[in-house]
Amino acid sequence: MKKKAYNSGTGMLTALRKGSLWVWLSALIWGLGNLVKRQFVKGMLFLAAEAGVVLFTVQSGLYNLDKLTTLGIVAQQKVWNDEKSIFEYVDGDRSLNILLYGIITLAIVVFGLLLLRASVKSAYSAEQSWKKHGRAPTFEQDIKALLDERLQFSLLSLPILGVIAFILLPLIFMSSMAFTNYSVLDSKLVLFDWVGLKNFARTLSMNGSLGSTFWSVLGWTLVWALAATFSNYILGMLLALFINWKEIRLKKFWRFTFVLTVAVPHFVTLLIMRQMLQPNGAINVLLQNMGWIKEPLPFFTDTMWARITVILINIWVGVPYTLLQTTGILQSIPQELYESARVDGANPFVTFFKITLPYMLFVTTPYLITSFTGNINNFNVIYLTSTGMPRAVGSTAGDTDLLITWLYKLTIDNQYYDVGAVIGIMTFVTLSIASLLTFRFSGSYRNEEGFR
Amino acid sequence: MSRQIKAKKSAWQKKPLHKRIGIILAHAVLALFAFLWLIPIFWVILTSFRATKGSYSSTFIPTAFSLDNYIKLFTDFSVFNFPQMLLNTLIVAAATCVLSTFFVISVAYTLSRLRFKSRKPLMNVAMIINLFPGFMSMIANYYIFKMLGWTNGPLLRLAMIAVYSGGAGLGYHIAKGFFDTIPIALDEAAMLDGCTKWNVLKKIIMPLSKPIIVFTLLNSFAGPFKDFMLAKILCGPNKDYFTVAVGMYQMLEREYIDQWFCSFAAAAVIISIPVASLFLTTQKYYSIGFSGSVKG
Amino acid sequence: MSKKLTALLLALCLLLGTTAAFADGAESFTLRVWTPSEDQNPDLGAWVNTLCDEFNAAHPEWDITFEFGVSSESDAKKLVPRDMEAAADVFLFGSTGLETLCQANALTEWGGKYMKYVQENYPETLVNCLIYADGLYGVPITTDTYFMYYDKSVFTEEDVLSLDTMLTKGKVAFPLGNGYYLAAFYLANGCTFFGVDGKDRAAGIQLGGEKGVDVTNTLVDLVKNENFIVAEPSDAIGMMREGNCAAYICGTWQAAQTKEVLGDNFGVAVLPSVMIDGVSCQLRPFTSAKAVGVKSTTEHPVAALELACFLASYDAQKAHYEKRGYVPCQNELIKEMANDPICMVDAKTVSEVALARASYTEFGYYWSPAESMGNEIRDGIVTHENAAEKTETFTQAVNNPGI
Repeated sequence: MKKKAYNSGTGMLTALRKGSLWVWLSALIWGLGNLVKRQFVKGMLFLAAEAGVVLFTVQSGLYNLDKLTTLGIVAQQKVWNDEKSIFEYVDGDRSLNILLYGIITLAIVVFGLLLLRASVKSAYSAEQSWKKHGRAPTFEQDIKALLDERLQFSLLSLPILGVIAFILLPLIFMSSMAFTNYSVLDSKLVLFDWVGLKNFARTLSMNGSLGSTFWSVLGWTLVWALAATFSNYILGMLLALFINWKEIRLKKFWRFTFVLTVAVPHFVTLLIMRQMLQPNGAINVLLQNMGWIKEPLPFFTDTMWARITVILINIWVGVPYTLLQTTGILQSIPQELYESARVDGANPFVTFFKITLPYMLFVTTPYLITSFTGNINNFNVIYLTSTGMPRAVGSTAGDTDLLITWLYKLTIDNQYYDVGAVIGIMTFVTLSIASLLTFRFSGSYRNEEGFR
Repeated sequence: MSRQIKAKKSAWQKKPLHKRIGIILAHAVLALFAFLWLIPIFWVILTSFRATKGSYSSTFIPTAFSLDNYIKLFTDFSVFNFPQMLLNTLIVAAATCVLSTFFVISVAYTLSRLRFKSRKPLMNVAMIINLFPGFMSMIANYYIFKMLGWTNGPLLRLAMIAVYSGGAGLGYHIAKGFFDTIPIALDEAAMLDGCTKWNVLKKIIMPLSKPIIVFTLLNSFAGPFKDFMLAKILCGPNKDYFTVAVGMYQMLEREYIDQWFCSFAAAAVIISIPVASLFLTTQKYYSIGFSGSVKG
Repeated sequence: MSKKLTALLLALCLLLGTTAAFADGAESFTLRVWTPSEDQNPDLGAWVNTLCDEFNAAHPEWDITFEFGVSSESDAKKLVPRDMEAAADVFLFGSTGLETLCQANALTEWGGKYMKYVQENYPETLVNCLIYADGLYGVPITTDTYFMYYDKSVFTEEDVLSLDTMLTKGKVAFPLGNGYYLAAFYLANGCTFFGVDGKDRAAGIQLGGEKGVDVTNTLVDLVKNENFIVAEPSDAIGMMREGNCAAYICGTWQAAQTKEVLGDNFGVAVLPSVMIDGVSCQLRPFTSAKAVGVKSTTEHPVAALELACFLASYDAQKAHYEKRGYVPCQNELIKEMANDPICMVDAKTVSEVALARASYTEFGYYWSPAESMGNEIRDGIVTHENAAEKTETFTQAVNNPGI
């Protein structure tokens, strides 16, 4: 099978080096190179795009970027109007809007630069095509290519636009708050300023309440993610093995009952769990009525109990998924391996450790990694059940709080947006480190020869 | 048929006693475990039929049953308009699932089949973006929609659809795994016959991908039913556009919990039915991503 | 035939003429109004819709179209600053969000004749809740405080004056794990929240020292009492339904249900006193006000201010009480409704017993450590031996932003 080398076109610098004067001019006037080589439609499109970008820059872009440096300084003014007996207000700057417009302007600038690059490359490729074939591709030919060699362009453009507009841009917007003092403290909600890395320094320090809260919450987050991931994985696998055991009847029925719990939306079941495990909740009431206990069990009122309870609840929520996946894999393990093992006289334990487990780990390592990262960001299970409590850590977090639930409390409940953004970025850093490490580790583990 | 039953019977009787006891014990343990596992679900259903209102009950099983809680959802509109919230959720979910599926399939197919320079970098960027906590973008999204003017009136629906499906392209993994299992020989045969890649996608791959399309459709349909945070942030004071999750979450606030707790359970049962049936129909596809990669 | 036609035409012209004359000079514009959803619900009397129509009719110089949105009083402090252009011109808000709203420059200050109107017609405590940086920012529409519901067949009117007496006769539920209610004990013994009158920001929340430790010790003993149940109001009313509880602490939002449960034995009283270190101390709840506010950047400030005053007027508050049980807080109405037990208890609480809750952001540091402390007392982790230490940690934590 011959590997098709894909046509990626030449880079922009090569184009500038090897191209004619027209290519250089295409950097200034987009589409010029195309127009000169008789690619009228393409050239006009580039020109129109340039007109749009330039118009935007002149009209509001420059203003936005200028304001971005100071994030606004004019406060709201009020004037007493004695005849009507009212105060009249003139609105001032709002730093949040300035920040948003500034970031969007930067995004458009980046977009403009990409268009510039495309214009240069396009001019160069038109030139090359002219030299080789005596003519440059017409617009119809370009459209056809979009449905063939360059199909990825047409298929990916809308999804990527969606991701940029609704995920990437908001992310950058929120992250930029980490470098400001946008917070309810010191009344910095309407007008705030850039403070550089001050917030990061405070978060990472070992002294100071913010730093100690951060390290404490981080510690529990890591412990939780490890405990949650492995407990789900192992218990799910054991359950799958158990049900898969030859002698069990009604396999589909058992699987159905265990998976049923996931069918109900999580936020409902988790809120129900919270109600049920309160000191006056259904479980304690039931156990007290049956006479098994006298005092209510401290599911969410004692730190150790609360931590174990949330891990157990997470098992309840996550095992169904693990069950499904491991069952699928178990059923695809070649039976010959088991046959030959039995012929060799191996008992169930040996088959498990020598065949089943390695096979499973091999196939599901990527799943384990995504599961681990998912658990670090597992908001619902903690926030809806224990709400991060029972005991406070500092004044803003609790001792079952993860970084992500703490982030929620900081931003939504307390309005400390700058610190919240810092925590968000720190979560990302933690996850990146964790992912990189696990990929390295699993890479060395994925020794295919050793398995075979 | 009777021969099979006879064969099974004799196979059972052939087993030594301790093995038979072991098997029965195993089934008993499994049954007990399954029962405990389902207790919260039982409790929700029981509570939804409970006659006495309020969040506290001194018995696990209600002493009196009634349908009032369900009726209240559909007749008492003083605080929550449940049928309207249900309708809103259905509309948003329908549009979201179509748009999401289109995005997911496009991205998955492209990354699975097509080869281009920025393929690996795009996959890495997607993975990195996924590492950020999801709702850091939530509040920011509100401000972006406010800038576009989509935060009031019917355009609010558009905003909700956009936010539920906009980032759908990042969740391509299961679909990509599926496409990876379709033999590339099919593509090559078609292209030798002169098909463009678009035609290969349309005429050959799509018909084969019905399972994964159905899976993605149903999966993204359930999304808007489960989200209570994003919808609340987007809707704000526009009560007419609330989804069920927002309303249900509000039912547990201190002013309403006493009157509405059992109706909350009833609402939970009502929305669980479509979500559950969707999930159960698609559960076999969850394992496709893995068994597929093993076979391939 | 033509005579009839001419007559018809004349009549039509006359009609058009008169309507034109009326419409002449009437300024027409839109006002946006935000209230909780129950206030707009026709089954509950559509309080705000009816009143807005009356307001429009009473002001022929304006022709107002009203746009209604739903925002509970506690949501307003988040929703209004978030999008000032789309926010309501007139909205209901809770006075605990006053600082948030003022720092976001969201509220109009009331001056001149409007300020006089508010100061003359509403109780001073509530009006003070709406003052920020020496400016008045709203008109109160009801109180927001709490008291005690009790079963008259278990407790007499004498009994409910003292918590200790009550505990010898029946079960009392108190939500210790919630800082909103826990503060009642600390305030009872003289601890302060931002100074004695709640207006001294620099003073912070002082719950320590001997006074605080005495309260903690009292609480440790109370929790051991079998008749003292720690439960949230939503659970307490459930217990009352089953007969496991004879009194509980709550605000007005569960009044109707409690009446239903207790029937003729429905009793409501101001919070009792409790013995702390040998002295009988009156438990003191917080009070704040729910108010009507006007957006600072509204385009029709005069109409909006007039509407706000109208929504808090005598008739409006009377209708509000009948339709939604919102305890009135207009001076004359309070006097008239003194017979109603809930109104009487509420008015007494606000004027004599409660502490006006400051809206300072520093107040926000209190909730998390208070929940912790209340839960630790309930679980017996706080004992007489470590009470002093725990109280000290507590009072340190509530003054610390934690970041």
